[in-house]
Amino acid sequence: MLAFFFFFAKRMVKFVLSLRERKFRRFAFLLILPALFFFLLLNAYPLAQVLWDSFHFKNALNPAKSGFAGWANYAAVMQDQYFMTALRNTIIWTVLSVAGEYMLGLASAIALNQPVRGRLVFRVMIIIPWIVPIVIAGMTWSWMLAPDYGIVNLWLVKLGILDQPYYWLGELDTALLTAVFINIWRSFPFYTVSLLAGLQSIPKDILEAAAIDGAGIRRRFWHIILPQLKTISLVVIFIHIIWTAINFDFIWVLTEGGPLHSSETLPILIYRFAMKQFDFGQASALASIMLTFMISCFLIYYYFFIRGNRR
Amino acid sequence: MKFNKRFTLLMAFLLLAAASLSACGGNKPSTASNNDAKSSNHAANASEAKGSDKAGAVTLRFWSAHDPSTDQGRNIQQKVQEFNDSHDDIQVELQVISYDVLHEKLMVSINAGDMPDISWGLSEWFGEFNRLDILADLTPYMDQWEEKDQIYPNVLEALTVDGKLKALPNYLGIRALLYHEDLLKAAGYNEPPKTWDELLEMAPVVKEKTGKPLFGIAGTGVRSPQELIMYLAQNDVVLAEQQADGKFKNTWLDDPDQLARAAEVFKFYQDLVETGAVAQDARTWGWEEEDQNFVLAQYAMVVNGPWIEGRISENPEGMKDVKIAAPMYKKTPATFMEIAPLYIYKSDHLDATFEFAKFLLSKDYHSLVNPSNSPRMDVVSEGWGEDFMALTSQGVVFPTVSLGGITEAMEDALGLALLKKEDPAAVAQTLAGAINKSLEMTGELSGS
Repeated sequence: MLAFFFFFAKRMVKFVLSLRERKFRRFAFLLILPALFFFLLLNAYPLAQVLWDSFHFKNALNPAKSGFAGWANYAAVMQDQYFMTALRNTIIWTVLSVAGEYMLGLASAIALNQPVRGRLVFRVMIIIPWIVPIVIAGMTWSWMLAPDYGIVNLWLVKLGILDQPYYWLGELDTALLTAVFINIWRSFPFYTVSLLAGLQSIPKDILEAAAIDGAGIRRRFWHIILPQLKTISLVVIFIHIIWTAINFDFIWVLTEGGPLHSSETLPILIYRFAMKQFDFGQASALASIMLTFMISCFLIYYYFFIRGNRR
Repeated sequence: MKFNKRFTLLMAFLLLAAASLSACGGNKPSTASNNDAKSSNHAANASEAKGSDKAGAVTLRFWSAHDPSTDQGRNIQQKVQEFNDSHDDIQVELQVISYDVLHEKLMVSINAGDMPDISWGLSEWFGEFNRLDILADLTPYMDQWEEKDQIYPNVLEALTVDGKLKALPNYLGIRALLYHEDLLKAAGYNEPPKTWDELLEMAPVVKEKTGKPLFGIAGTGVRSPQELIMYLAQNDVVLAEQQADGKFKNTWLDDPDQLARAAEVFKFYQDLVETGAVAQDARTWGWEEEDQNFVLAQYAMVVNGPWIEGRISENPEGMKDVKIAAPMYKKTPATFMEIAPLYIYKSDHLDATFEFAKFLLSKDYHSLVNPSNSPRMDVVSEGWGEDFMALTSQGVVFPTVSLGGITEAMEDALGLALLKKEDPAAVAQTLAGAINKSLEMTGELSGS
C-alpha cells in the first residue's frame, strides 16, 4: 500500500511538473513572438527577397528584360571587369585591417594593463577613435591627407620625409592601403578594450608562479598570456572579419572605391550594381555570394571552435 | 491564469501595433484612393506644422538641393514662403536635400512609389528618369503657358523626348573659360588660349613665370564626364547617336576617323599632365578641389560654371581679376551646357504642381534666384550672366539615355588615360565598348 502511495505520488509530481513545464514553454514562446515577428519582417523576408531577386532579371532601367534568370546574374557578376579587383581588394582590406587592429589592440592592451600613473585617463582616451562617427572620422582624415592643405603632408614635407605633398587617397598604389591604415586607427580600440578585459581575468598567481620558476617575459607572454587570450581573441577576430569584409561606409567616405576602382571592395561593387546601374538582380547575386561566404565562415568557426570547446 | 490573459492581450496589442507600423511603409500611389489619403495626410501635416488654416489645400512635396546658408538658398526659401502665403489651395512642403544624396533618395522613393511632386535634379538623371516612366508629360501645360517663348528653345528641346516635354529647366550651368587675368599677365599673356595647342604651349611658360599650373580639370566625380563630353564635342566626337530605330549607339568603332578624334581627346588629357599644364593631383580632383583651388588662385584657368561667382566672397582679393571667355577648342567651338532640370513626377495633382512650377519659372523668381544662369531669355544679369549666356548656342548636352553606366565608363576612361597612362586609342576603344554595353543593359542600344 505504501509502495503504491509512493508510486502514485511520484507520478503526480511528474504530471504536475509536466504541466508547469508546458506552461513555461508556452510563456517562453509568447515572449519570443515579438522578436520572431520582427526577425521575419526585417531580416528573413529581405534576405529571402535578395536570394529570389538574384535568380531573376531585375533591372529598373530595362523592365523589358524580366523573368527567371537562372545563374545568369551570378555569371554576369563573375565576368564583371572589376569583380576580381574588388574581391582581391576585399581580401587585402579585411586581412590587413584585422591583423593590424589585433596587433595594435594587443600591444595597447598590454601597455594599459601595466600599473602606470594616469592609466585610467589613457584607457578613456584610447576609446575615442572608436566612438567618433565613421563619416566624421573619414572626412577628417580626408582633409588631413589632402595634398594641398592637409596637415599630414605638411608635416611630412617639413620633416623632409617627402619632397612634395602626396595624394595618399588619390593614387592607385596607396588609396587602399591608406584606407586600411585609417580603419586600423579607428577600430583597434575595440580590440584594446576586449583584450584588456581578457588580460585582467588572467590569474596573477599563474604568472607569479611562472616567474618564480624562471619563465621570462617572452615565455610568459607566448605560453601563458596568449593562450589565456585565445577565446576572446578568436571571438573579436571573427566578428571583425565579418564587420570589415562587409564594411561599406568607411571606404565610401574616404575614396568611393577609387581612383579607378583601386580601393573598390565587394560591398561597394554591390552598391554600384544597385544604385548606379540599377541592376538589382546582379546586386542581389553578389550580395548572395557574400552572404554564402559569411555563413561558411560562421559554420567553420562553429564546428572548429564552439564544438571543440564543448568537448 | 489572469496573468496569462493579460499577457496574451498585451502581445496581441504589440503585434497589431507592429502590423500597423509595417503597413505604413506600403504607401504606394498606385491608386487614386491611396493618393487622396496621402495628399490629405500631407495637407494635415502641413497645416499642423505651420499653424495655418489652409486645411484641404493640396500639399506639394518639393525636394530642393539649394544651400540654405547662401543668399540664393535664402532667396529660394523666401520665394516658396511667398508662394504659400499667396495660395490658399496649394501648399508647398520644401525639403532641402543636397546633391550628394539627392539621387539616391530619389531612386529609393521612386522604387517605393513615393516620389515627391517636384524636385531639383541633374541633367545626367534625365534619361534614366524618363526610362523609368515616372516623369509627367508637360507638353499640354507648357503649350498653354503664356511665357513659354521666354525659355531658350534649345533648352526646351533638350528636355523633350519623342515630342513630349518631360522636365522643365531649373537653371543653366553653361561652362565658360574662367581665368585669373593677373596670373596670365604675369606670364606675359594678355588673353587666354583659343585652342588646345595654344594652351599646351602656354603651360610651361606660366608654370615657370608664376610657379602655378595654367589649368585645372576634374579627373573624377560627377564633373569629369561633363568636361570629357565637352572636349569630345570640341573635336567633333559624339558620345552616342540616335539611330533610325530611335535607339542609341556609340559609333566610334564603326568610324575610324571618329575613333581617332576620340583618342586625340585622351591624348590631350595626357598632354595636360605631362606638360605640367595641370597639377599632378588634378588627375583625381573632383569638383570641390577644382573649384576650391581656382577660387584660391592656385592655378590660372578652368572651364567652369557661373556658380563660381557666388564664391567670390571667400577670396575677394584673389577673385578680383577673374575674367570670362569662350572655352578653347580643337576643331569646333563647344561647351557643356548643363541644364539642371526641375523634375515633375506623375501624380493626381499635376495642375497644382505645374502652377507651382510656373512660379519657379517666373521672371520675378529668376531675377532674384538665378540672375546669371537663368533659362529665361529675359533674365540676364550684366557681367557674368551676359558672358555665360553668350555661349548658349554652342552648348552640348548628354544624350537622353540612362547615363549611370555611361558616366561611370567615362570616369574609368579618364582613369585609364591619366592614372594608368594607357594608349589613348586603346582608351577610346574601351570607352566605346563600355558605352554600348551600358546601352545594351538598359535596352537602349540600337539593334538590340
